[in-house]
Amino acid sequence: MSRPFPYTYISCPCADTPVPDPERKRRSRESPRKPTQERTETQPEDSQKAKKEEIQAAQEEDEEQTFNPRSPRSNFSLYPPEQLLYCEDCHQIKCSRCITEEIVSWYCPSCLFETPSSMVKSDGNRCGRNCFNCPVCTAPLAVSTLENVTGNGTQQGPWVLSCGYCMWTTLDIGIKFDKPTNIRNQLQKMTDATAAPAFDTRSRQGSRAFGDLKSPLSTLTSIADGQPTTKDGGEETPTSKEESSETGPSNTDARFAALKSFYRTQISETSTSPSDPLGSDFGFSSPGALNRLMSLYASSSRLSGLYGGNKKSKSKPPVMREALTASEGLRIASENEESAIIKRLASAEGGWDSVASIEQRSQQSPDVRFVDELLPLPALLRTKRSKRCKSCKHILVKPETKPQSTRFRIRLIALSYIPLPTLRPLTLPSSMTAPPPPPQDLNALPPLRPVHVLLTLKNHMFDPVRITLATPSVTPGRVASKVTVLCPQFDIGANSDVWDEALQGASAPVTGDSRMTGLRAHEKVPEAGKVWDKGRNWTTVVLEVIPGTLPGSEAETSTVGGNEGDENVVNGSNQDEDVLEIPVFVHMEWDAEAQLEQQNVGKASKPDDLVARELAYWMVLGVGRIQDGF
Amino acid sequence: MPPKVAKGEYIETDTGNKISRRSQIHGTQHIILGGKTVIQAEAVIRGDLYRIPSTAASTDPIGRYSYISKSAILRPPSRLHRGVHSFYPLKIGDHVFVGESAVVEAASLGNHVHVGAGATIGSMAIIKDFSVVLEGAVVPPGMVVPSWCVVGGRPARIVGEVGEGYGVEGAEGGLARERYRVVGRP
Repeated sequence: MSRPFPYTYISCPCADTPVPDPERKRRSRESPRKPTQERTETQPEDSQKAKKEEIQAAQEEDEEQTFNPRSPRSNFSLYPPEQLLYCEDCHQIKCSRCITEEIVSWYCPSCLFETPSSMVKSDGNRCGRNCFNCPVCTAPLAVSTLENVTGNGTQQGPWVLSCGYCMWTTLDIGIKFDKPTNIRNQLQKMTDATAAPAFDTRSRQGSRAFGDLKSPLSTLTSIADGQPTTKDGGEETPTSKEESSETGPSNTDARFAALKSFYRTQISETSTSPSDPLGSDFGFSSPGALNRLMSLYASSSRLSGLYGGNKKSKSKPPVMREALTASEGLRIASENEESAIIKRLASAEGGWDSVASIEQRSQQSPDVRFVDELLPLPALLRTKRSKRCKSCKHILVKPETKPQSTRFRIRLIALSYIPLPTLRPLTLPSSMTAPPPPPQDLNALPPLRPVHVLLTLKNHMFDPVRITLATPSVTPGRVASKVTVLCPQFDIGANSDVWDEALQGASAPVTGDSRMTGLRAHEKVPEAGKVWDKGRNWTTVVLEVIPGTLPGSEAETSTVGGNEGDENVVNGSNQDEDVLEIPVFVHMEWDAEAQLEQQNVGKASKPDDLVARELAYWMVLGVGRIQDGF
Repeated sequence: MPPKVAKGEYIETDTGNKISRRSQIHGTQHIILGGKTVIQAEAVIRGDLYRIPSTAASTDPIGRYSYISKSAILRPPSRLHRGVHSFYPLKIGDHVFVGESAVVEAASLGNHVHVGAGATIGSMAIIKDFSVVLEGAVVPPGMVVPSWCVVGGRPARIVGEVGEGYGVEGAEGGLARERYRVVGRP
């Protein structure tokens, strides 16, 4: 999701530790932060600047240069502030790459019912109720009655699933339902009708073997598994190959189940035979036990097939055979099956429109070719996930289990720790009488004309924060824009209780920025070294930006900017080179209440339970797009 | 742009609603604004489409700090039930943003819902709290968008999730107060 200008992104420091190696993580947790922290704490308060430089240096040790928002790698470290988390243990910002996720609950996005984890697999990760998606366009299907009974008669009409988006109904594939409830079971019975009733795989008590048949994907993988089996067996390769491609849509699963049970009995028959002298050579003293173990670990047909193959090569009398009859799951392709498909493709009523697209087919059983063979898809389940820090395993986010709930048991988001940056262009009206100038078009910033932007940092912590901002004077990249932070050091007040503020009277500065753009803005001029505006827990500073010129534009040839010295210009700009993004290094310091493990005995500079904390990170301010030429 | 009305573009009610004089609101007796709601110019709210046997309070409540952008259309959802075509209330929660030229026929929009510009939300769709409908998306009728989800496309599908910080005051999804504040400023 690209965002409209102006935007702010925050860089997660994990980009500097590319390999998620736990050892490296542990080191990085200790090294880059702690030394600077200790150093800065032992230092006296006077040399703020030196401190800043030192941190800068420490940072540069890590990445050896300032953050470049144009570098291809930075794409992977920049996140919108609300997506970042914060680990209280590591004292670090955590992005989606530095966390691990655990599933808290499964739920259907359509009916918002939770599916117990024991049922998820047997239901094939799909909703087991009435939630279906249109196989043609993926919109949700509604259960509706066929006979529009006017009046209040009992609606006993047959029911269909209909798509409100593309008007597809199950009537298109000739399916009606007797009841408006439990549609999935009804549908599965219908599609299984042609199969042997013994293999009603959809019955809920489906064992583990049947469990993984449900999703089309697992069917595919099991087919892929099936081929090595036949290779091992050596015989009947052609038939089983056709089998994998030429199975009917309605009973693929049933046939698979038949094959599976067939091979299972084959294995047990061949392996439990007592005349197995070679078995013990490999320590398989009890083949039955081994078989049990094997089936514990993998019920897939490949492993058992391999195992059976081994057995066959060693033990003569019980030879494992392949499926021979239809009841065992064998299906021999009829000779003109494909030609019928081809004929239909070429016929007048067939043609393009009747052929299912790849996207449609990818969700269906493997040999669906035409639109009228598509079956409604039960809605895929979604999950609620808790998130843990990868390095210290602390839980950062834990949502409530209930699908409907939007609350969290634990939610350590970065916004509660780092100040929330917001960016806004500053328009200075030239005079009182003149109408305010139209707001700056951020999508077309004129080059070489100074623009003032307001950067507001809002503190969500309950401690006041000292902020130091630093930015390269010239933005990296070929389009060199000059950037000056007019007030690089400032404080932000604590996020005190809102009630305190409300009780303090109406002069509460919450509406501060409304006044700012109001009357007071007229006499206000951005000044170096002064904050622009300040509120209870926020501070606004002005950034002066002189957008550079785009390479190849006529302004560039006149070189008014004076920054193009090192530019070896290759004409023609790259994509998004005209986007004016400013990397800003934010260093924040605050005194936090010490938690137990953080109480460091060595540094008793703070008499009370306060511990000096600091955090430093890069953020990127997207100011706008530079206009091409004047 | 027509010449500026001397009174100002917006009517501000006692509860702080800011309603553009150029918006079209029909059937006002069936619309409840929660206060501090912004309705911009050329927005259309069809309160006149209500259930004919007006039994219960079949009204369209709109929550606080919700923002209806220019040319957006809010229309109560309707359904053919037992052969009778009837309208149902359209509930809109707090801090909702409805983008420009969006057409909303949902049964409910939760809190902190963001509907992008030009999006269409079909009849009886339910958009739960903290979800985002991307620009130009077409949410099919009857779809349920769970919380924290981002939907987009035609027809809309769930394409992602918003971060945990979504909806925090001042951040993405929590800008409603700020939006309200700047409306109607000279």
